[in-house]
Amino acid sequence: MLTDRHREQLLGYTMIAPVAIFLAALVAYPFLSAIYLSLTEKIVGYPAHFVGLRNYANLLDSGRFRIVAWNSAVFTVASIAVKLVIGMAMALALHQVVRGNQFIRGILLLPWIIPTVVIALTWKWLLDLFRGLVNVTLIDVGVVKSGVHWLGDPSLAMLSVVMANIWRGFPFFGVSFLAALQTVPQELYDAADVDGAGSWQKFWRITLPSIKSVVAVVTLLSTIVTLNDFNIVFIMTRGGPGAATHIFATYSYELGIMSQRWGVAMAASMASLPLVALLIVGVVRYLHREEE
Amino acid sequence: MNVRLATLVRWAVLALILAIVFVPMYWIVVTSFKTGRQILLSQNVYAPEPFTIENYLYLFEESRFALWFRNSAITATASTLLSLLIGTAGAYALTRLRFPGRRTLGAVVLVTYLVPPGLMFIPLYQTFIKIGYTDSLGTLILAYPTFLVPFVTWLLMGFFRSIPRQLEEAALVDGATRVQALVHVVLPLAAPGLLAAGLFCFTLSWNEFLYALIFIADDSLKTLPVGLSEFVVSDFAFWGQLMAAAALASLPVIVVYIYLHKYMVQGLTAGAVKG
Repeated sequence: MLTDRHREQLLGYTMIAPVAIFLAALVAYPFLSAIYLSLTEKIVGYPAHFVGLRNYANLLDSGRFRIVAWNSAVFTVASIAVKLVIGMAMALALHQVVRGNQFIRGILLLPWIIPTVVIALTWKWLLDLFRGLVNVTLIDVGVVKSGVHWLGDPSLAMLSVVMANIWRGFPFFGVSFLAALQTVPQELYDAADVDGAGSWQKFWRITLPSIKSVVAVVTLLSTIVTLNDFNIVFIMTRGGPGAATHIFATYSYELGIMSQRWGVAMAASMASLPLVALLIVGVVRYLHREEE
Repeated sequence: MNVRLATLVRWAVLALILAIVFVPMYWIVVTSFKTGRQILLSQNVYAPEPFTIENYLYLFEESRFALWFRNSAITATASTLLSLLIGTAGAYALTRLRFPGRRTLGAVVLVTYLVPPGLMFIPLYQTFIKIGYTDSLGTLILAYPTFLVPFVTWLLMGFFRSIPRQLEEAALVDGATRVQALVHVVLPLAAPGLLAAGLFCFTLSWNEFLYALIFIADDSLKTLPVGLSEFVVSDFAFWGQLMAAAALASLPVIVVYIYLHKYMVQGLTAGAVKG
């Protein structure tokens, strides 16, 4: 005869089992076997053999991988810095708007909703050398004489993919910050007014400290995703010109899917893992603190 | 700063941000209604003249757009339903039932939710090759829940926590079983959460590109994002057709979003949605 307590435990395990089995089979297993494969030499059609850390050593030695790591850092830091600024401006501007707030917020979130592939293709077309809206307008206004090689010039190509990524991502920052702003008690501002504080002081002394955990979580989440972004770069530049916009995920794609060098590809996939793991620990700690 | 100046600055900032958001969307729509000739010769750049729907007709008459649309719809619907089913049960167990290992499992769910696809696609592809199951819509229907199930579970744990335990306990006292209490008391109260989770899942699946690009080689099984990314026809003024396809591919998620966005802020503040 089962007691109530045992019955509850049994039901608990039964209901969590599908989640556990699914994640074990299609997240944990692939992940662990990827770590194993990254320690082997495997070319499609031949059996794998164990090579220890050689794939990682080769990666660190390769000039191409260093460029990829640097590009990933530039892409991530530049995107997130600007998203923070525009997102904060959006939240602060929208916070005081009473009428039409919902509607404007609805419009501003559209870039976050529509498929990233659509966004990347649209930006590619906006920045088209001869017929893109940006160059045509710049020439019409007289800023430049001939079209700017947005996607053809190495440094401008990085700027271009960063712009597209910012466009896609800042609304999420803005709406998250806005939601956080709405929880800051008005009394704090009233008290600051009595003390004669200016807007700037109020922002640094009241607003920012009150919403800092949301800012931290959003920044951490976005760093994890941006560091491993694929879609925008793959569609706009394929990592080019040369390797000027090549980042972690497009590089793994090149090694694994194009060259079929699985061992090295796995090592490249795992390359950002230490950093991602740290960031994940950060998010988990923040979210757990909020729960309590 | 006086109040009037502050208001002015605020609206200037909003106007600028709205313009930034507006321009690329305007460019999609404007291009989609231009003739190939206008695009090729850069005529009437800012507004189509003449206005044509030939790009939209082309999609249905001469491209595989309808097929890609169908593949995306099947994949997104099936992976959403699968994830909701598994995730709802998991979230209930993790919030309402006491069993050893519960906290650890909750943390595991959160961690798997945070692992980015850009890191997982090659490992997951290897696994599908090993079990011999690539190149089928079923592959994607199994692959998408790897990020949808942790998401649904995490989101719904928040919703379940907000439902007072007393309601459920009252049902138990009245002689209902746990499962009956879940079905008749908890789920109806969590309905807005289930709806939001489902709509989010649908959007994430509909927009997914990387797994669909890697796992599917058969041209007749491609989803919309992959179809769009390979949309290069011999005519080099293909941007008109492509932008028409982009507009139509965005339409379902925009429609979904009109229903979704009142739940969105709730989801955002729960920390459940990532950018």
